[in-house]
Amino acid sequence: MNPSSLIPVADSLTAHWGWFQFLLMLTFPLHLLAMNALLGSVLIAFVAHLFPGQQYRDLSYELAKALPFLVAFTVNLGVAPLLFVNVLYGHLLYTSTVLMGLFWLSVIPILIIAYYLAYIYDFSFKRLGNAGMFIMLLVLALLLLVGFFFSNNMSMMIAPVSWERWFATPDGSLLNLADPTLLARYLHMITGSLAVGGLCVALYAQLVLKRQPAVAEVGVRIGMQCFSWLTVLQLVVGTWFLLTLAPEVLKRFMGGDTLATVYLVVGVLLALATLVTGFRRQVLATVWLTVPLVYVMSFMRDSVRSGYLAPYFDPAKVPVTVQWSPLILFLISLIGGLALVIWMLMQLPAFAKSARQD
Amino acid sequence: MNYPVWYVPTFGGGLLIALVAIVHVFVSHFAVGGGLYLVLAERKALREQSQAIMAFVRKHTKFFMLLTMVFGGLTGVAIWFVISLIHPAATSLLIHTFVFGWAIEWVFFLVEIVALFVYFYTFGKMDDTRHQIIGWIYFGAAWMSLFMINGIIDFMLTPGAWLTNQDFWSGFFNPTFWPSLFFRSFISFMLAGCYGFLTATFLEDEQIRHRMIRYSGIWALVSLLLSLPSGWWYISVLPEQAGKLVAGASPTIARAATVAAFSMAALAGLLIALILLNPKARTRGLIVVVMIAAMGYMGAFEWTREAARRPYVINQVMYSNGILVKEVDRINQEGFLKNAKWVRHKEITGANQLEAGRELFLHQCFACHTLGGFNNDIVSRTKNMSFGAMRTYLATIHQKRYFMPPFIGNDAELKALAAYLTAGLHQKPLDDTASAAGDRGQTLYEENCAACHGIDQIAPNLKTWSRQRVRSSLDNLSAINPAMPDYTGTADEKEALTDYMVQQAGGAQ
Repeated sequence: MNPSSLIPVADSLTAHWGWFQFLLMLTFPLHLLAMNALLGSVLIAFVAHLFPGQQYRDLSYELAKALPFLVAFTVNLGVAPLLFVNVLYGHLLYTSTVLMGLFWLSVIPILIIAYYLAYIYDFSFKRLGNAGMFIMLLVLALLLLVGFFFSNNMSMMIAPVSWERWFATPDGSLLNLADPTLLARYLHMITGSLAVGGLCVALYAQLVLKRQPAVAEVGVRIGMQCFSWLTVLQLVVGTWFLLTLAPEVLKRFMGGDTLATVYLVVGVLLALATLVTGFRRQVLATVWLTVPLVYVMSFMRDSVRSGYLAPYFDPAKVPVTVQWSPLILFLISLIGGLALVIWMLMQLPAFAKSARQD
Repeated sequence: MNYPVWYVPTFGGGLLIALVAIVHVFVSHFAVGGGLYLVLAERKALREQSQAIMAFVRKHTKFFMLLTMVFGGLTGVAIWFVISLIHPAATSLLIHTFVFGWAIEWVFFLVEIVALFVYFYTFGKMDDTRHQIIGWIYFGAAWMSLFMINGIIDFMLTPGAWLTNQDFWSGFFNPTFWPSLFFRSFISFMLAGCYGFLTATFLEDEQIRHRMIRYSGIWALVSLLLSLPSGWWYISVLPEQAGKLVAGASPTIARAATVAAFSMAALAGLLIALILLNPKARTRGLIVVVMIAAMGYMGAFEWTREAARRPYVINQVMYSNGILVKEVDRINQEGFLKNAKWVRHKEITGANQLEAGRELFLHQCFACHTLGGFNNDIVSRTKNMSFGAMRTYLATIHQKRYFMPPFIGNDAELKALAAYLTAGLHQKPLDDTASAAGDRGQTLYEENCAACHGIDQIAPNLKTWSRQRVRSSLDNLSAINPAMPDYTGTADEKEALTDYMVQQAGGAQ
């Protein structure tokens, strides 16, 4: 069966596709950063339990307090890119979602359990003692499982060749395990996420925990070690992922497509630069290099998607019926909403105090 | 037909959507009304200079945050996941039409999260005025989330002028937008009162406990009473067909409406009893009953709203099985299977008739019917029908029962589906001449009545009926049960049908 014959017809767009692409590329890395901070905090809260010493307990405790925020923002910042990816690639995503329906739906109860466990860890930290480390281990396992399901869906939606399996197995129990890129893609995402997560912990320790120097010191140390060594590992895993790509997609990054090649070169250079600053424990410098790196990696990921979909689908060719007023109202709401958020954060006692000191 | 179907035969998608949706709306409406409850309760504490009430508000905020932000937020995402699984075509249409509506809702969701975190974690650490402003921002953002989602949900029931102009705002501010917004707002305040009840029962100080139970009770009762006229307004602006379904033409809505009525009565009664008759008792058990009643009220409303747009998933735009109304004529001419993407059999032959029929069932019926499952089971509904009767029934299914979509496809495909539903599911003979040779009354019965009740179910009831009574009842079936469509056969056909039923009942009066 010709895989193209299975691809649903895409619905028309209400604005030029570039708007959705822009918004997707703007918001997805924000979700990644929040998700990475969450994963990194869970990992390091767990690791800190393995060391003796009050400063390690305190580090876990401080991370425990941050977890509920991180889960909330990871979910919220995931909604926006999921919306925009629905607009551009919904017909492909819904198809792969149906194929793996059982696993996809299980993401919700898994996240609810992980979320409540994070709250239990936070609110009952002292009572739990070292038993808390098992909660963190469980949360980490649950979140990594969610990530695995996402990797399956995101790789299956760009592989219509694998869709024909639905005719034999229509009960939503299909994963994309036979895809040669799956494991490398997943490990690439996880390694990157945990590395950036380590950096987030280091940043949190340096900026927020500075009044507890011993705690800040272990936070920065473990966080930056986590970041630097996982980034070294990423050089291997990332290369592996690159090499598992289909030849025509790989070629894009090897000069076949100027933009994709620039992304790869800039990405590798930024990663190498972060290694220098990372091993030197220069937290802020590493952050300044890593934020653009996460954006570049998202652009590369998008380029991989376009490469795989090239024979089947191009969002630029979907019919457009423009209506400006909802888009304008959204942009106004976004500006107004962000202004409110900033105002509210400025009302926090910590901010108010530092403003008074200034 | 554009998408694959998530095929779990015993557990239909409709039930899954209903379960997730009812649980979610119960919490998400609380997330809206609860915001107002918190700021007003905080103001009450400040006015009365009561530390105890303030401590209660703080504790209630924690419960509120844990419930709405975690469970409410994630079940909201769950609805999105579930509908894209069960109704991918409809989800795609809604997302594409209202993408910036959803995006605006996301902004309010973000503001909600930040506001609630700041509100909870700064209790006692921020001056009162600013803390209350944060609370008001939370409520404003939460209510605006409701405002946005309300427009999109009601578009599915009453698309209004969007049908002709495809304009975002026509679809958003559709005919049921305002009544639904009022109704949902009052429901959200009612739920805030109910939840306030629950947490108030945990207060140790007896006096404060009684005051807060009373305060919450008044909230719930006043909001409940205000929800009644807005609910009536909502029903009164429904389009004619949806109005008829709500009035009882749909058996599922009739059931839901009954549950709603009883729940409301129970709820109102319990609230009044609680507040006025027994204000000093510890009433946690009673309050749990109140919560269940409130959930029944809310659930019945959501069920009714969902069912009122049948046979469409988006009224007059897309049928429940994902087929666009505007494509029906073309598909009827060209054939369904030829146009469907996720089918193996593009042409029907003698050898593949049953298999092709199964594919037609999957793409046209499975969206609402399970196969041997516990929601709208197709096996029990088809067991009394012969192949011939099924063909006649399928050809006029939408005219006979408005809430069922018409069969869409050519004659050979209709025959294949009828073959699957009779020979495939029940091993009945595929004999085209059976109806002609058999009893005419029996054939008419199978074509018109057997989908809902076999003759073995009806015959015992008719034992005491005279022939005249059976015959005259056929002239006005909806008087017996509003869900039963009137029989539109000729006088001769009514006579034949009467003879058959009387004979089966064992009478010859």
